[in-house]
Amino acid sequence: MRNTKGAHAATVAAAGRTAPSAQVHGAQAGTENGRPAMAPAGEAHGGSGAAQNGQAEPRRRRATAESMAASQRDISVSEFFAKNRHLLGFDNPRKALLTTVKEAVDNSLDACEEAGILPEIWVHIEQTGPQRYKVGVQDNGPGILKTQIPNIFGKLLYGSKFHRLRMSRGQQGIGISAAGMYGLLTTGKPVKIISKVSPRKPAHYYEIQIDTKKNRPEILNGNGDGVDIPPGEAGRKVIEKHGIEWIELDHGTRVTIELEARYQRGRASVDDYLEQTAIANPHVTLHYIDPEGNEQHYPRSTERLPAEPKEIKPHPYGVELGMLLTMLKDSRAPTLMQFLTQSFSRVSPAVARKLCDTAGLSARAHPHKIGRHEADKLYHAIQQTRISAPATDCISPIGEELLLAGLHQVVPGDFYAAVTRPPAVYRGNPFVIEAALAYGGTANVHKVTMEQLAEMLAESDARTMRKFLMHTFTGVNSDAAERILERAQLGVRAMPARLNADEVARLHAALQNVNLDEGQTMTVLRYANRVPLLFQPGACAITQTVASMNWRAYGLSQSRGSLPTGPVTVLVHMASVWVPYTSESKEAVAAYPEIQRELRLALQAVGRKLALYLGRRLRVKQEGERRGKFLRYLGEVATAVSSINQVDRDELYQRLVEVAKRKTADADVRLDERGNRVEAPAEFGEHVLIVRQQEPNTPDG
Amino acid sequence: MAKKKKRPADAPARSTAKPQLSQRDRKTLQDLRQLADSVVQAAERRRDPHIDVPARSLSNVRYNKVRRYIEMGSAKNRRQLFNLSQARVYMQTMLVASGCKQLIDQGKTNSIRGLFYQLKHTIEGTQEETFDTQEECDPVIEDLEVTLNALREELHVFATNRGNLVGELVLVDSGDEIDCSRMGSAGYSIPSIVEPEVIQFRKCDAKFILHVEKDTVWRRFNEDKFWRKHHCLVTHGGGQPPRGCRRLLYRLHHELGLPVYCLLDNDPWGYYIYSVIKQGSINLAFESTRMAIPDAKYLGLRSIDFERCGLSNSVKIALNENDIKRARQIAQYPWFAHKKEWQKEIEQLLKNRFKMEVESLISKEISYVTEEYVPARLREKDWLD
Repeated sequence: MRNTKGAHAATVAAAGRTAPSAQVHGAQAGTENGRPAMAPAGEAHGGSGAAQNGQAEPRRRRATAESMAASQRDISVSEFFAKNRHLLGFDNPRKALLTTVKEAVDNSLDACEEAGILPEIWVHIEQTGPQRYKVGVQDNGPGILKTQIPNIFGKLLYGSKFHRLRMSRGQQGIGISAAGMYGLLTTGKPVKIISKVSPRKPAHYYEIQIDTKKNRPEILNGNGDGVDIPPGEAGRKVIEKHGIEWIELDHGTRVTIELEARYQRGRASVDDYLEQTAIANPHVTLHYIDPEGNEQHYPRSTERLPAEPKEIKPHPYGVELGMLLTMLKDSRAPTLMQFLTQSFSRVSPAVARKLCDTAGLSARAHPHKIGRHEADKLYHAIQQTRISAPATDCISPIGEELLLAGLHQVVPGDFYAAVTRPPAVYRGNPFVIEAALAYGGTANVHKVTMEQLAEMLAESDARTMRKFLMHTFTGVNSDAAERILERAQLGVRAMPARLNADEVARLHAALQNVNLDEGQTMTVLRYANRVPLLFQPGACAITQTVASMNWRAYGLSQSRGSLPTGPVTVLVHMASVWVPYTSESKEAVAAYPEIQRELRLALQAVGRKLALYLGRRLRVKQEGERRGKFLRYLGEVATAVSSINQVDRDELYQRLVEVAKRKTADADVRLDERGNRVEAPAEFGEHVLIVRQQEPNTPDG
Repeated sequence: MAKKKKRPADAPARSTAKPQLSQRDRKTLQDLRQLADSVVQAAERRRDPHIDVPARSLSNVRYNKVRRYIEMGSAKNRRQLFNLSQARVYMQTMLVASGCKQLIDQGKTNSIRGLFYQLKHTIEGTQEETFDTQEECDPVIEDLEVTLNALREELHVFATNRGNLVGELVLVDSGDEIDCSRMGSAGYSIPSIVEPEVIQFRKCDAKFILHVEKDTVWRRFNEDKFWRKHHCLVTHGGGQPPRGCRRLLYRLHHELGLPVYCLLDNDPWGYYIYSVIKQGSINLAFESTRMAIPDAKYLGLRSIDFERCGLSNSVKIALNENDIKRARQIAQYPWFAHKKEWQKEIEQLLKNRFKMEVESLISKEISYVTEEYVPARLREKDWLD
């Protein structure tokens, strides 16, 4: 600014000598003699303002209100999300694949449960080209009516779940249509849907694409009506012709989306998601065929469907002012009193009257007549009045038993504990926190086969081996990765894709043999309404709460503010009519204090059980070590004594061993007495599963 | 292991070297056997075996005012096999006992370092060594000495030679006659075991013993032939004198009636060396009866010597916190507590805030210590008791 002003002043000064004009004066006064004779000081120093005034030519206007108005128009939701695909979880090809599977599976599960059908899901991922995959997800749900199919799969923000308060996996009605849109954008292929409602009706086949400008579905086949699939052989041909599949069922839906994607195993992969889904949904049978043709089956471990969650009306505490205004406007109730009692849960006539009194409004006022000012008063009245917490029977938690069963089926361990907290409320929304914990067992690095490892290495885009290990395997931190690599005699910076067969074999051996218990970080499995959350662990209230707790009190090691270490897996489930996600892609739970408090209480409950178990195990181990230590020296003592007085060495040794055993048993009892309680076997309380009791390992003896 | 057990009974092994056991050896073997039998008895009665080791700490010593030396009290530490913190050292004690038994059986002696190697091996089925370092082994040997009330030499163990002697003395060491006035520049090296069986005094013209702290000063006295001029013996113990040196001083003092004068550094460690020679050590209080020389005198260096001898500032060594602490501790010892002269001496040291080594006298003039300092002190009978 100073520069332009100086330059400008110089040209004006030069011009000033030949053709002085009134306009130039201001600048001259400021620059030539330094005395602000004519122009006020403010203007002289005004910089660009003064300079602009001095400019003879007015600048051309870029746009007029009229021309701008011409380009101002509606932005469709679909267009918005097409440009902001990361908001929905389509930031990269790898994540896109997962999100697509996830949305389809979530929808299927919701549909089955709502219809009271035990869900069975088939997931098939096929590679159709480089960076291109076809995802097919089929369920045995009730099917979708012909007329509704296009809207559900071809329109963003269309669905049954947004407007009600009921626990379900989906909330917004964005997911599956967004996946279809992403497929269309990246491959040009429409979403293909087969749905069968009843055994008596033929399955219906649609090819749908979303018109992003209008947020409207376009049906491509059957002149915009879709086609019926004839039964029998003919039907099979039709299905084959369109490059899709259909597993014969009485009813169900299959959605097929082709999209640009990348398939990769490891953390936050499709495999990972399905495995975690199986844990939290023990009533679901899952069939999965991955791009390499490997089949994976997760059979259901219970035949019992979760209790059907009830739909509830909003609780007054959860309603914001804007929402209140809309509700008032939309209400058909003749009086404010009726509006309050009918639209909200837990508002009895007495409470409604109290609200009206506090707000200074007439109970008989017409809801439509309530202005913004009165609504504000009503809103404050709600906050001041004590209203009982919402009914909590609208939530169906997984339950401690099933949590244990699910976790045990998928996560190896020696000890399992689970707890379901009683329902609580945040901002008027009831929710339940459940936590389960698995301790011990072998980490999944131990499970990996040589072939899988070689494949993972080839697929990995990690630059270094250390990164590869940390990103591929859960529970491997940098420290553990370095120990593995050291054992395998590989460089930390070696390229994963360039290992030769010999090196892969060494790495595999190292993975099997390195004890990761020490360097292993706790694995946290997060769930919201039975859906695994795989991304953004750091932003999630669940991870934050786990890390903020003092796990040392429960026998784990932990550095301040980070996750504890050890062979531990913690599963946390938040079930609620409305899960407060931090973003539309539903990756992390927002940190409301009420939620954090419940999370903490649930984690503490399982932590206490773990502490008991670890305490007992440590004691058994110490006792074993004690005995081992004595036994170690007994041989030496016996030898020394017999060399002095020629007693029989072995006989003496046996005698001493007997004393040692008696002594350590003695110590056992003493330790219990010191702890002031002789523990009964059932000390852990309910909902604990101990797989095998660790026996003291005594070296020879 | 059976091999070891049979060895004493083995005819060929015995025929090669079965020495005549002396009376003392037989008694020691008896004690060792008792120790071993106690383990067997305990095991038979399903009790945990233990050894009661007399406590070797300040809390278990008593200053005997009549005899004027430190005596060991009766406190004992029980060492149990079935105690996690004692199991290892118990095992080591039994190992040392078996090692000594072997030595006695074979009629051989071994140095404490040799014994350490003799007993060091990996415990079967583990990676653990019976002894990690010699520092771990040495105290166990001392423990066994006090437990059996046997001397080191009775266990056929000796320490490395340390300390030298020169002067007008003729002695017989293991049958060899040695004239200590004709020992060249290095003098007679005092062996670890100086018992009458090993060393007998033949002829002595010396009138007293001058014991100095270290080799440097001792050489000064030897080179200047101080012992010839003053008819005495000059000894040193390389710092804290080992038991061989102390025992020899004791025998010379008691058998030949030679008074002992000490020339030591002017610091807490020098004071304590004097204290050990005079009253016996806390650690080996059980040996006081045969080592303490209550009549030993402290010639110097004294705290007043810096001014008295007009020494230069460069000989001062600043006292560190450790020195100050140790000096206060020594002043509190019962055998120093009531000696006004000593309290004054230590007080002066603390006031000086520096310590001095005997070598600092050499800095004044090379033979000042031999020609002026010591003769003057002896002449004036200027010493601390």
